[in-house]
Amino acid sequence: MGAVPRVTIHVPGPLRAYCAGAAQLPSAGLTVRAVLQDLERNQPDFYRNICDETGAVRRHLNVFVNSDNVRDRDGVDTSLTPGDVVTFLPAVSGG
Amino acid sequence: MADRVVLTIGTKKGVFVADAAKSRRGFSLRGPFGPGVPVYSTLIDTRGAGRIYASSCNPFFGMKVLCSTNMGKSFKETKSAPAFPKDDGRALANIWSLETGSGKKDLLCGVEPASLFRSHDGGNSWEMVPGISNHEHSRKWNPGNGGLCMHTIIRDGQRMHVGISTGGHYLSEDGGETFTASNQGVGAGFNPDPYPEFGQCVHKIVRHDDAPGRLYMQNHGGWSEWSGPGGPRPDIGVLRSDDYGKSWRSIAKGLPSDFGFPIVVHPHDPETVYVMPLEPETRTCPGGAPAVWRSENGGNSWRRLASGLPKKQSYFTILRDGMDIDQLKNPALYFGTTTGQVWIGREGGEKWECLFDTLPPVYNVKVAVV
Repeated sequence: MGAVPRVTIHVPGPLRAYCAGAAQLPSAGLTVRAVLQDLERNQPDFYRNICDETGAVRRHLNVFVNSDNVRDRDGVDTSLTPGDVVTFLPAVSGG
Repeated sequence: MADRVVLTIGTKKGVFVADAAKSRRGFSLRGPFGPGVPVYSTLIDTRGAGRIYASSCNPFFGMKVLCSTNMGKSFKETKSAPAFPKDDGRALANIWSLETGSGKKDLLCGVEPASLFRSHDGGNSWEMVPGISNHEHSRKWNPGNGGLCMHTIIRDGQRMHVGISTGGHYLSEDGGETFTASNQGVGAGFNPDPYPEFGQCVHKIVRHDDAPGRLYMQNHGGWSEWSGPGGPRPDIGVLRSDDYGKSWRSIAKGLPSDFGFPIVVHPHDPETVYVMPLEPETRTCPGGAPAVWRSENGGNSWRRLASGLPKKQSYFTILRDGMDIDQLKNPALYFGTTTGQVWIGREGGEKWECLFDTLPPVYNVKVAVV
């Protein structure tokens, strides 16, 4: 991630093994889509846990920018401002 | 020298490994590995030093392949899992079958949506097998209740059989380069045409080395009462082929139900085959009294094996990969239930005993002597 970091990606605990144990990753992305592209290039093992092979965010994951689910904003085209935190969280489900 | 009986038990909450001496007394249990994540397929690869593979099907973070090089004391992820080419448009939804390939590190993997992948390096890298994955029928297959899955992969020299729900049985005679739908005699109950070219809901297929051309199939039965277009289609659920799967005939007569999921053939006698009939509506044991049924004459007649199994009030399901048989001289059967039990049927299923009573729901059971 050569550009100046603008936002922080919060890495869920179960996925830290896929990015050398990092709890946070920096990104210069201007949108969530750009953050995902950053991850695909620079953290491919982590990225494969977030997105399937078509590039779509996995069905049972939610993406938050700060406390907003991007579903309620512009999806992966949601724009980011410096200091934003992008979080990937499993949807609450199961049994 | 092979001296341990090893069971892999894939469950809704990870994979367990049990082992015992060849007496099959006192199985010890380890796990769960890949905890909390469903494991739809396992493979005990007895080639070389031996490995165990398990598909870890994480609904949140995607599919992984786990590998153990110490017979189930620990597991690690392989370097990658099967994945469709980026421009394909399909995304891996589940891993339903793992089998050995022809080379010493070759693996085959059947997935959902129904496609076949191959690895030449013990599961660290994968390539899609286009002959079946991009078959002209592939975009016309439909998902069954469990999803559009390739659940059966059988190698027989240059021949390869695959079973797809719902797609049917496909045969390759050129080592997996090309495949042909081979479903003559395989019925479909959910289709106005009772015998379509493809699209059957095949549940499981098995073969035996000592009977060239012989295959047994558990198909989706339970359509004897159907009164709609095409009319009733009794006994389509349990089938046999004697021509390498090019044509099939019913061997369901004498069973209490032709519906079921697993089918298992005896390791030393190709005439001996086992099924677990289930009621088609509930997919549970008929009358709440589970029983394995055995034929010792290739399906011409059947006998109920239930000694030691509950006699009433048992409504579990045994899924397609939930039953297996070991390779010992007097082999034992094993099955796992959706209620988390694993049973052993000693003396070829004559005497049943519960090995584990309260595991998570069991998706598959495999056994090997290592």
